Amino acid sequence: MIPFGHALAFAGALFVLGLSCVLIRRQILMILIGVEIMLNAASLVFVAASAFWRQPDGQAFVILLMAITAAEVAVALAMVVYLWRRKRTLVADEFDGMCG
Amino acid sequence: MNESLLFLIPLLPLFCAVLNMLFGMRLPRLFAETMAVTGVAGSFVLTLLFWGMAEGDGTRAVLFTWLSSGTLDVSFALNFDRLAAPMTLMVTGVATLIHLYAVGYMHEDEDYARFFSLLNLFVFAMLTIVLADNLLVLFLGWEGVGLCSYGLIGFWYRKRENARAGTKAFLVTRVGDVFLGIALLWLFAVTGTLSISTINAQASSISPVVVMVLGILLLLGACGKSAQLPLMTWLADAMAGPTPVSALIHAATMVTAGVYLLCRFFPLVSLSAVAMTAITAVGAMTALYAATCAMAQREIKRVLAYSTMSQVGYMFMAVGAGTVAGAMFHLLTHAFFKAVLFMAAGCVIHLAGDENDIFKMGGLARRGPVELFWVFLAGAVCLAGLPLTGGFFSKDGILLALFTYPDPVYRAFWLIGVATALLTAFYTFRLVYLVFAGEPRGTGHPHAVPLLMRWPLWPLALLGLVGGILNLPVFVGGTERLHHWYAGLAGRTVKASHEVEWMLVSLAVVIVAAGWFAAHWRYRNYRPPLEGAVSRFLLSGWQADNLVDRLFVRPFTAMARFCYVGCDRTLFDGSIDGLARMLSGWGRMLVQLTTGRLTTYLSAFAWGFLILLGWFLIKLVNGGGH
Repeated sequence: MIPFGHALAFAGALFVLGLSCVLIRRQILMILIGVEIMLNAASLVFVAASAFWRQPDGQAFVILLMAITAAEVAVALAMVVYLWRRKRTLVADEFDGMCG
Repeated sequence: MNESLLFLIPLLPLFCAVLNMLFGMRLPRLFAETMAVTGVAGSFVLTLLFWGMAEGDGTRAVLFTWLSSGTLDVSFALNFDRLAAPMTLMVTGVATLIHLYAVGYMHEDEDYARFFSLLNLFVFAMLTIVLADNLLVLFLGWEGVGLCSYGLIGFWYRKRENARAGTKAFLVTRVGDVFLGIALLWLFAVTGTLSISTINAQASSISPVVVMVLGILLLLGACGKSAQLPLMTWLADAMAGPTPVSALIHAATMVTAGVYLLCRFFPLVSLSAVAMTAITAVGAMTALYAATCAMAQREIKRVLAYSTMSQVGYMFMAVGAGTVAGAMFHLLTHAFFKAVLFMAAGCVIHLAGDENDIFKMGGLARRGPVELFWVFLAGAVCLAGLPLTGGFFSKDGILLALFTYPDPVYRAFWLIGVATALLTAFYTFRLVYLVFAGEPRGTGHPHAVPLLMRWPLWPLALLGLVGGILNLPVFVGGTERLHHWYAGLAGRTVKASHEVEWMLVSLAVVIVAAGWFAAHWRYRNYRPPLEGAVSRFLLSGWQADNLVDRLFVRPFTAMARFCYVGCDRTLFDGSIDGLARMLSGWGRMLVQLTTGRLTTYLSAFAWGFLILLGWFLIKLVNGGGH
C-alpha cells in the first residue's frame, strides 16, 4: 500500500502545479483547467485520508466533489462561450470592466 | 378709584403701538396718526385723573404675577408715587406735543405706521421705567427704550450711516445695561426681593461696601442711557434719526431715564459717600466735556445733542449733591426747553432747505415765520440760564446744592458747574446768532413749515420760560413747591443764608451776561469758523470715537481676527481638513488595488492563501511545543 505521506506529497505537488497554472496563465480556459487540477488534488487527499483511516466518508465526499465539479465546469464553459462572443478573445485581463 | 386702572397709563400707548404695527398700513393715514397721538394724550389725561393716587405714600398696583419660583416673585407691579407722578405727567405731556409735531414732520414719509408704532412703543417703554415697582419690569422698560431708540435713530435705514448710528446707540447703551443687569441681580442676591420700594426700605441693612459697589454699578447703568462719560459717544450720532425722535430722546424719554433711575434708588445710593461723589464727578466731567464740544459743532442738532449731555451732567451733579428735587426740577425744565429747541431746529432745517450746518444758515429771523425765532429764542435763553427763566432757577438750585455741600471736594465740582454755565451761555447764543442773525448764507430752497410743526412749540416754550414757578426758591418769594411735593423723597434740604444765595444768583447773572457778550462779540457779524487744531479736536468730541476705536474696537477686531484666522481657520479647520485629506488619500491608495483584472484578484487569493497557511504553520509549531 502507498504510504499516506507519499499520497499527500503527490497531492501537494499536484495542487501547486494547478495553482501555478491558475496564476501564470492568462487564458481563461487554462485558468479553469488549473482550477480542475487543484480540485483533483483535493479529491486525492480525501481518497488517501479515507484509505488511511479506513473510513468511507472521504470516498463519498469525492463522489459529491465530482458532481459539483461537473456542474461548475458546465457553468464555466457556458460563460467562456459568452465571453468569447462579447470580445472575441479569452485573455482574462481583457475583461476588467468591474473595477471599484 | 380702582388702582389697577393705573395700568392704563402705560398700556394705552402700547395698545396703539401694537394696533399701528399690525394694521397701520391698511388704516387710513389720518386714522393711524390720530391713534398714535390719542394713545399718548390719553395717558396724559389719565395721569391727571389719577394724580390724587400719588399723594401720601403713593399707590402700588399689581396687575399679575409674571414669574413665581421659590423665593423669586416677580409681579407686574406699578408704583405711582410722588417721584413717578410728575415724571409721568412730563413724559406723556411732552410726548403728546412731540407726536403732534411728528404728524406734521412726517407728512411726506411713506413709512408712517412703523414710525408711529415705534414712537408709541418708546413712550410705553419709558412709562414702564418710570412707573415700575419691580426691578425686572424696570429692566423690561429699560431694554425697550434701547430697542425703540435703535429702531428710530436708524429709521431711515437705507442710508448706511443712519443704520450705523442706530446700531451704535444700541451697542453703547447696552454696555451700561450690562452693569445695570449686574446691579439688579446683586440687589436680588442681597435683599432677596426685586421690589424697588422694598429694596429702598432695606437699604440701610446692606453692608456699606456692597452699597458702594451697587451705587457705582447703577451709576454706570445710568451713564449708558443718559449718555454720560464714558458711554456718551452715541448721543451725538443719534442725530441721524428724524427730528421728533431726537426731541423725544432728549426731552422725554431715554436720556432722562438714567437720572430717574438714580433718583429712584436715591435712598440706596445716598448711603455711600463714594458713590455720591462718583455720580457728581461723572456729571461734572460730562457737563464740562459736552459744553466744550458744543462750542465747536457745526450741525445745529449736534450742538443741541451736546448741550443735552451737558445738562444731564448737571442733573447727575444734583443727584450727587443729594438733592433729588433739584435734579427732577432741572429734568422737567430741561425737558420743556430742549423739546422746544429740537422741534424748532427741525423747523429751521426745513426753512434752510435741509441744511444742517449753522455756518450756512443765517438770517432766518426774517426769512421764516416770525414766531419761530421767538420760540427758539425762548428755548435758548432757558438753556443759557437767562435770569427768571425755568432753566435759570433749576441750574441755580443745583449750583447752590453743590456749593453748600459739606464735602470740600464739591467746591471743585461747583467751579466746574459755573464754568460749564459760562460755556453754555456762550454756545447757546453762538447758535442763535449764527442761525438767525445776519444775512442768509445758505443756498437751499426753504420748505413750507406745516402748521402742526409750529403750534406744539408754543406751550412748551411757555412752560420752559415759566417753569421756574414749579420750584421757586424761598429767597425770591417762592415756596419750593416741587421740593415739598417730593416730601420724603426729595433728598437733602439745601440750607444756605440769603447772602450766599444772592451771591450765587448774581454770579449766575454775571456769567450768563459774560457768555452772551462773548458770543455777541464773536458772532454778531458773521465770521467763518476757526480751523485750528483745537476746534478740530472739539468738533470731533475730543476724539472720543477715535479713542473708543483704538481702545476697544481695534483690539477686539484684532482678537476676533486672531480667533478666526489663527484658531478657527488654521488650528481647527486645519486639523479636521488634514484628517479628512489623509483618510481620502488612503482611500485613493486602496482603490488602486481593485483593478478589475481577474489575474490580480487571483494572485491576491494566492497571497491570502499563503498567509493563512503560514499562520496555521506557526500555530502548529507553537502548539507542538506543548
